[in-house]
Amino acid sequence: MIELLLQALFSGLLVGGVYALVALGLAISFGAMRIINLAHGELVLLAAYCAYVVEARAGLDPYLAIPLALVVVTLVCTAVFLMIDRIRDHRELNSLILTFGVGIVLTNAILLVFASDVRTTSSPVLQDATVLEPIYAMNGELIAFALSLVLMVALWWWLRKSWYGRAVRAVSSNRAAATLMGISPVRTELTAFLVAGALASFAGVALFTMSVVQPALGHALTVKAFIVTVLAGVGSIPGVFLAAILLGITEALTVTLASSALQELVGMVLFLLVLFLLPNGLFGARARRG
Amino acid sequence: MLRRAVAVATIAFAALCGNRASADDILVGAHMPLTGSLARSGQAFDEGMRVAVQMFNARSGTHKLRLRVIDDESTPAKAVSAVEKLVADGAVAVIGGYGSNIVGPASDAANRLDTTYITAGAASDELTKRGLKTFFRINNNAGYQRGMVGLLKSLKPASVSIVASTKESPSLLAKGLQRDLSAEGVKVTLHEFDPAITDFKPIINKVKLQDRPDALVMAAYENDYVGIIRAARILKPSVKLIVGAWALAVPKLYQEFPDLMNNVVGASFLPFPVEIEDEEGKGFAEAYRKTYDKDVDYHSTLSFVETTILAEAIAKAAEAGTLRTGGLTEAMRTTDRKTVLGPVQFDATGDNPRFSVAMGQHRAGKIVLVSPRSAATGDLVLPARPW
Repeated sequence: MIELLLQALFSGLLVGGVYALVALGLAISFGAMRIINLAHGELVLLAAYCAYVVEARAGLDPYLAIPLALVVVTLVCTAVFLMIDRIRDHRELNSLILTFGVGIVLTNAILLVFASDVRTTSSPVLQDATVLEPIYAMNGELIAFALSLVLMVALWWWLRKSWYGRAVRAVSSNRAAATLMGISPVRTELTAFLVAGALASFAGVALFTMSVVQPALGHALTVKAFIVTVLAGVGSIPGVFLAAILLGITEALTVTLASSALQELVGMVLFLLVLFLLPNGLFGARARRG
Repeated sequence: MLRRAVAVATIAFAALCGNRASADDILVGAHMPLTGSLARSGQAFDEGMRVAVQMFNARSGTHKLRLRVIDDESTPAKAVSAVEKLVADGAVAVIGGYGSNIVGPASDAANRLDTTYITAGAASDELTKRGLKTFFRINNNAGYQRGMVGLLKSLKPASVSIVASTKESPSLLAKGLQRDLSAEGVKVTLHEFDPAITDFKPIINKVKLQDRPDALVMAAYENDYVGIIRAARILKPSVKLIVGAWALAVPKLYQEFPDLMNNVVGASFLPFPVEIEDEEGKGFAEAYRKTYDKDVDYHSTLSFVETTILAEAIAKAAEAGTLRTGGLTEAMRTTDRKTVLGPVQFDATGDNPRFSVAMGQHRAGKIVLVSPRSAATGDLVLPARPW
């Protein structure tokens, strides 16, 4: 039983790291613009398919696809931002509808180009196991987890220390006051959106190296990222990471101690429970006080 | 002058179009998941249907079929509205989709509209328990179950672990397998999983440390197979056999995941490289390769058979002059035909009780039929796992 629990905790930790990687981008655009980008999962998926192209068509390591993914996803993000920026009325609601539509277009574009086949890395190195008896992990998962940690620290540093990062926090906190302080809200929001796109690029490539991707996956990724973002509470980057780990471990323990059929249900119950008891999420209120 | 030329050309084009819609031009509708989570299967079905219609039209002197396919986007609601639209536009029958949860409501709609509905993409037992008059089906869980249980029984395992999706067909298949194998004295442990799951390691770890089975059985779909086998490849449970249901023993999965599929066994109709004995099957394989530049596969063969059966019943009803007065359903009931999938006959519920599958083993890019003995093209290699 101890062996099972240890593996469940470790698997949950690694899966949680990937959830965090996918959710970080959504959290930053949600935090800065109060806009839920419903196409975020599709942006992650787009980057995953860039990794597929680089590995399957060019025969290179999928992590070498990161520059390509950054270019492709940034271009799409810029186009989406320009569309969102044109919305004048009921921005929150209309941007939801707009990004939902963008998500459908992206899914179908991916389907058209890459067909509906399932894709994943064929790299023996990434697929091989690292064994620390009695714990097993796929190398791709360990790399994705490390990448998630690095990006979280980098994002936290950027938001705290850089001028643009502080501007994003200022616009997120009070858009009108930030404008009075000489911060361009549009430029700041664009920056936040592009940073979110960059995070989606890394997440997509990591996802391809450790999991199976297919054109319909984008929606599920958005839902998972949304759950993690709300669970964490708006504005807390470490909160996103901890909420994602909590979700991953809860799911893995459910599979081990109860039934694998209940995994998603228990994740959703956790989400509803936190929302009911802590409407600002696990870390949201504290972050705002800070 | 230019306007006049355009007007004349328009009238000529309209006349040509009008000619195409002659009395013998019969519209057949289909809804398929060309996009969405089931798109891979839907697209393969679409190809098989089109080749079947093309071949039927080539050999039919008087009746020409026109196929219109609506993308149901892998959702039940879109499938229902597709059926309603197709029937409203004059389709005499509907070829229906993939996935029992989609085919169920779509075939209900067709029955309500008194329109013949045929499927080869929904294996749930519940579909034939509804008593629909216009519903017909080529394949069923019972056939897959027979094929898988036949193979497992021949190996006499002491225990089996089943990893099954909670989707309708895989779940019912898993429960049927559990029942049949338990009746044979085999210890069976069932692990059902939510279709949204991405990490199968906790499940496979339970299989490895708690169940310790002789065989790992999967009742699931392509992306699940890849996830399950990859988790097994990492944790390496000491199983002798990894076996799955539909869409596992297909050449494409080996081409894309050779390191995960080698030696794995799944339900199959044909060996690969394709060896087809009968003339109709050979014609299908040739026409398919000519049209799509690839070999026939599992899904395209299913849809070829269902479309051919339907086309022949349409021709029969049209000859009798009863096509639009309920004769098609009657013509379908008289079906008794040998096909590339084996014999097809429909019982009172519209099911094909004679459906059965063989089991094929991936072996270095080839698929060898290993069970039942009568269909085998080679012996099962054990241990049947990719590592």
